[in-house]
Amino acid sequence: MATSDSNATVTIEVENLTVSYGPKPALLDLTLSIEQGLLVGVIGPNGAGKSTLVKAILGFVKRDVGSVRILGVPAEKAKGLVAYVPQRGAVDWDFPVRVKEVAMMGRYGNIPWYREPGEEDQRIVAQALEMVRMSDFRDRQIGQLSGGQQQRVFMARALAQGAEILLLDEPFAGVDAATERAILDVLERVKAAGRTLVVVHHDLATAAEYFDRLVLIKQRLYAYGPPKTVLREDLLSEVYEGKLRVFSDLANGEG
Amino acid sequence: MDSLAMLFWAPLTETFFQKALVGGCTVALVCGVVGCLVVLRRMAFLGDALSHAMIAGVAGGYLFMKLLFGVEAHAPSMLLGSLIAAVLTVTLISFVSRVSRIKEDTAIGIMYTGIFAGGVVLVSIFRNYIHIDLMHFIMGDVLGVADADLWASAIVAALVLSAIVMFFRHFQLTSFDPVMAVSIGMPVVLIDYALTTCVSLVVVAAVSMVGVILVVGLLITPAATAYLLSDRLENMMLLAALFGVTSVIGGLYLCIWLDSSGGGAIMLFCTLQFLVVLVVAPRYGLLARWLRIRRMLPQQLVEDILGTVLRHGERPVSAAEIEGHVQDSKGIQRAVRSLVSQGLLRVSKAGVLLTEVGRAEALRILRAHRLWETYLLHVGTPEAEIHPRAHALEHMHDSSAVAYLDDLLGHPVKDPHGQEIPEDVDCRTARDLVALSLLRKGRRALVQQVTGAAAAAGLKPGERITMAERRDQGKTWVTVREDGQEISLDHEAADGVLVTCE
Repeated sequence: MATSDSNATVTIEVENLTVSYGPKPALLDLTLSIEQGLLVGVIGPNGAGKSTLVKAILGFVKRDVGSVRILGVPAEKAKGLVAYVPQRGAVDWDFPVRVKEVAMMGRYGNIPWYREPGEEDQRIVAQALEMVRMSDFRDRQIGQLSGGQQQRVFMARALAQGAEILLLDEPFAGVDAATERAILDVLERVKAAGRTLVVVHHDLATAAEYFDRLVLIKQRLYAYGPPKTVLREDLLSEVYEGKLRVFSDLANGEG
Repeated sequence: MDSLAMLFWAPLTETFFQKALVGGCTVALVCGVVGCLVVLRRMAFLGDALSHAMIAGVAGGYLFMKLLFGVEAHAPSMLLGSLIAAVLTVTLISFVSRVSRIKEDTAIGIMYTGIFAGGVVLVSIFRNYIHIDLMHFIMGDVLGVADADLWASAIVAALVLSAIVMFFRHFQLTSFDPVMAVSIGMPVVLIDYALTTCVSLVVVAAVSMVGVILVVGLLITPAATAYLLSDRLENMMLLAALFGVTSVIGGLYLCIWLDSSGGGAIMLFCTLQFLVVLVVAPRYGLLARWLRIRRMLPQQLVEDILGTVLRHGERPVSAAEIEGHVQDSKGIQRAVRSLVSQGLLRVSKAGVLLTEVGRAEALRILRAHRLWETYLLHVGTPEAEIHPRAHALEHMHDSSAVAYLDDLLGHPVKDPHGQEIPEDVDCRTARDLVALSLLRKGRRALVQQVTGAAAAAGLKPGERITMAERRDQGKTWVTVREDGQEISLDHEAADGVLVTCE
């Protein structure tokens, strides 16, 4: 992968990454540099190692070979810089907590136990909620929000945390078209604020339209770059094995 | 008669013991069967709740008959009262958890303690009217079983067992997949209530024997014991019934011999029975699990042994020699035996040898190891770390991963230590198409497909070729045609030629 083609800051730098859970590696010799302020989609078939890549960026997996650096810091030591936005299923929506308190949880790592959240924390939380357009809902209990709004609250929490990189695991799974638009709009705003977003995505049909860059993986990195250069028929058919007609439509129709 | 036989026979001649045995076994049997559904539906806490709630029902039924008709301790109305209390409890629980955000386990906790408390208050207010011994309910009295209790438990057992036998499929499906049950038109709510009623009936019948506190144990412990032994609901129910009965028999003898509380002894025996099965159960038991883990061979050890034998060439290798080359020498004997039975090793007088299959496997691992070493050097790993890290990485010998490394590194012939990297396994069989880039010096092959630069160089399908030594530090492949003409190919061109080896 070419890393010298631009002078933009590299936020995520993955080098020769190999991760294995058995005789078959989950990720093999993966090298990837993602510049700041991009909306990046990670695509690939089931079991291609997409979530292993996300975990590696979070610094959660044991690496066999290689390194992952976040703004020059090894991923294991960069905990605050990367935030993971959970899938909807993982949370108890009846939990007695309101939107602004969820966002405030992002600050907990910076507030010592003997101190209350200060004005600065309140300001950061308000700013984060504003960025995801959830300010009007700040006093709502989280169960009273729609699916897309719930996602946005968790993005606000990640922003309040001060994260430079947001990792989202299929935020568009099971939401309607209007919600998808709303989420995308928020992703764009967050990106415009200089954050880097890495989104695991399943739908190839919308991949070209939504993302600045695509990462195509199946154990190895097959391509990284603008959608046009990634959604090529030969690459897709190699990675997804067959179903050529669909891919030729994709490759020709989009971008 | 000798004393041992007396120990078992003497209690059987006593009427109270006979009644306890008959009543206890009847109740335990049906408890076991119903308990299976309770365990599988994760309703254990609900069983506990029902047994407590029925205190209120008993007091209510007693008072009702006493105050209105002046009848003392009217058994049928007390039974009915406890049933009403049980159903009321269940209804309130499902109501609260459905209409509010309160989760079901909390709702159970609230409702049964509330209704239990109501019963306690009722009994204590009317303590001059009611001659119920609360302790009798809380602790039970299996040795003081009255004839009426026997009849009650017999009727309950008959009712509940016939319901479960008749509607077995209904209970099975609604417990396993309630959504599907609804979709095929099963009255799931009705079945749920029927099951709750069955549980209530059984609990009511069992409380007089083992008491409120222990009844839930009689309901779930035999079922859980059976669960460890069976893979079919029918078998589980039969076994649970059996374990219920053995608990009562064992517990009653224990209680006579130790002169202890009857209910306590039964549940103690029941729990011990569970613990024994937990250890010795053939598939889901702890012992079986431990044996399974012990039998599993560490992959690292297996690979180390194969590698050691391979490095000794054609010579038989003794166990002592293997021990010297393996990091962890524990379990070598067992691993070797297992490798022999898998057909990877064969035994001769002087030691073990690789079979043909074993040799291919060992070469595959060695190839992975040496390619990983080359790769580690390639990505700039310090020299001293290369060998130990490659040793850990060689377990990743998945063929596509190894093929990728090989291609990435330009199909190297030697590793960083100058040792030869074994050839790809497909070169050793004539069946598979392989890229020319994988062939080593001296290998003869038949060209099958030619694309790219190699075609431009004149190579054609159907030709016989022999590989010569590579040039330019291995970056140029040299192949000799039958007429002696040499063709030089770069990496990409060599990848574009597919051949079968001879």
